[in-house]
Amino acid sequence: MTVIDAQNVCKRYRRPHVKAHTVKEAMLAFLRGDRGYDEFWALNDVSFKVEAGESIGLIGPNGSGKSTMLGIVARVLKPTSGAVSVKGRICPLLELGTGFHPDLSGRENVFLNASLLGLSHKETIACYDSIVDFAEIADFMDAPVKTYSTGMVIRLGFSVAVHVDPDILLIDEVLGVGDEHFQHKSLDRLLDFKKQGKTLFVVSHSLSSILDVCDRAIWLDRGRIVKDEAAEEVVTKYKLAVWAWEQSLAEAKARNAPAL
Amino acid sequence: MEGRRATAEGRLYACEADESRPMTEFLEVLRYREVLWNLVRRNLKVRYKNSVLGFAWSLLNPLMQIGVWYFVFKILFQHGEPNFMPFLIIGFLPWLFFSQTVLDSTACVTQEMPLVKKAYFPRSILPLSALISNLIHLGLAFVVVFALFAIWGVSVNIHYLWVIPATILVAIFAYGLSGILAAWSVFYADVKFIVGNLIGLWFFLTPVLYPLWQVLGKTIDQPSNWLEWLLKDNLPRLKQLFLLDPISIAVEGYRSALLHGGENFIRVSAGPKLTEAQAAALQVSLRHDYPLLPYVIGAAVIAIATAIIGQIFFQRKADLFAEQG
Repeated sequence: MTVIDAQNVCKRYRRPHVKAHTVKEAMLAFLRGDRGYDEFWALNDVSFKVEAGESIGLIGPNGSGKSTMLGIVARVLKPTSGAVSVKGRICPLLELGTGFHPDLSGRENVFLNASLLGLSHKETIACYDSIVDFAEIADFMDAPVKTYSTGMVIRLGFSVAVHVDPDILLIDEVLGVGDEHFQHKSLDRLLDFKKQGKTLFVVSHSLSSILDVCDRAIWLDRGRIVKDEAAEEVVTKYKLAVWAWEQSLAEAKARNAPAL
Repeated sequence: MEGRRATAEGRLYACEADESRPMTEFLEVLRYREVLWNLVRRNLKVRYKNSVLGFAWSLLNPLMQIGVWYFVFKILFQHGEPNFMPFLIIGFLPWLFFSQTVLDSTACVTQEMPLVKKAYFPRSILPLSALISNLIHLGLAFVVVFALFAIWGVSVNIHYLWVIPATILVAIFAYGLSGILAAWSVFYADVKFIVGNLIGLWFFLTPVLYPLWQVLGKTIDQPSNWLEWLLKDNLPRLKQLFLLDPISIAVEGYRSALLHGGENFIRVSAGPKLTEAQAAALQVSLRHDYPLLPYVIGAAVIAIATAIIGQIFFQRKADLFAEQG
């Protein structure tokens, strides 16, 4: 069963020019016919299908459109053209306790965040103990979140998200958060998800965590798909390409350097 | 996991380039109602967090404000209406509700930006939660007002119910403005500064500190035919604007409902009882009845139109929120 179906997805962004600081500059810019922005395509005709139970990694250099793609799948961004259809309960794994209010207690934030991610009040009550247990911060649940350490906020946020029991889990650069122990724990949890036949959709620069979690990888570059194959192959080819690019950079630098 | 799943349970959604959805948005808000209640609860809890008196501030704050006006106008300037205190309190309620809702919702999307960029939920929930939190504050204020009424020995009567349509009028109008301002302030940070100042001006254009008849000035006898009266252009156009402002209408509506036994809801509340000599000196006739009904309808039309425009504007901009900042 196809759970994510992206067809010819394009996303155009406007890249604003440096803003005019004075009235004079603004008028000159207007006279030059400067619209104040350039257009560029963050995604250009991207199509792929994800089957239920697959785990997909998106890799590519900065600005290649990975997070934009994730945003469109999460329904936060709208494609300029093309369509994405998603089947099942989808849940973004929010980094650093996004949406947590510093003045509310851990408990209150758990209920707010869980409802935002699609858990009903009853369900949250049912798995509340398990959430606290997983985050290992039971003593702090009634203290305001602003008194938490960064690590505690991350743990709690992660814990809520993995308890939402989504069909599709979206992960944007949040693998490898927290201390060593919590990293192992969260990785185990994600692998559990996979065993249960859930779909993972991961964006990461950490190629090793892509290899740990994903079976398949999509390599994006400047908004286009370069490769869409098994994770090992794509990661190897990507590493090679980056290496080759760095070599050519170094050579160019050597050529341009004045001979002593 | 057993139990009911509130949202997004096994349902197919498509995210397409051009999809407009006034009705879907309403259904989505219904689906996400638990989020709405949680946000309302959070707004209420957070506003007075870290203050010793906590929730009591939502009542003490306006009362102290009213105390200041009472001191300035009644005691320093020896001015103001008879029964100035109840006059101020009642008039201030709908204004406070309106201005707080508008100010809160202007910031509601920008405040939640980190969340808006990561998670999907119907964006209308944000201004709606600001509106509902302030409705609850208004409800609490009413508890205090009725307590004061009991102390002053005012008897409760059926005309109090006129407060309900007046409140609905303000709520619709405020929600419309909220949609426009919330969406706009995502793209231009200037909006929140402008709104802050305009609200300050609007306060003085709303008959909270003075009765409406003072603006409308010389009054005319009750006409037999409203249509004829309107066409005869008895009020200068500029002054008619006061009567088309939903907030002014609501303020007068609150006063007539709670202070004048509902008699004047469709007319501006009467000024003080004057002798003929005083009236002549002030160039004010003894009758202070304005036929308000056409204006009430006009204000309602304006409020509803604002709500529709605001909602459409908000919907159209909502898809771009996550691209900002």
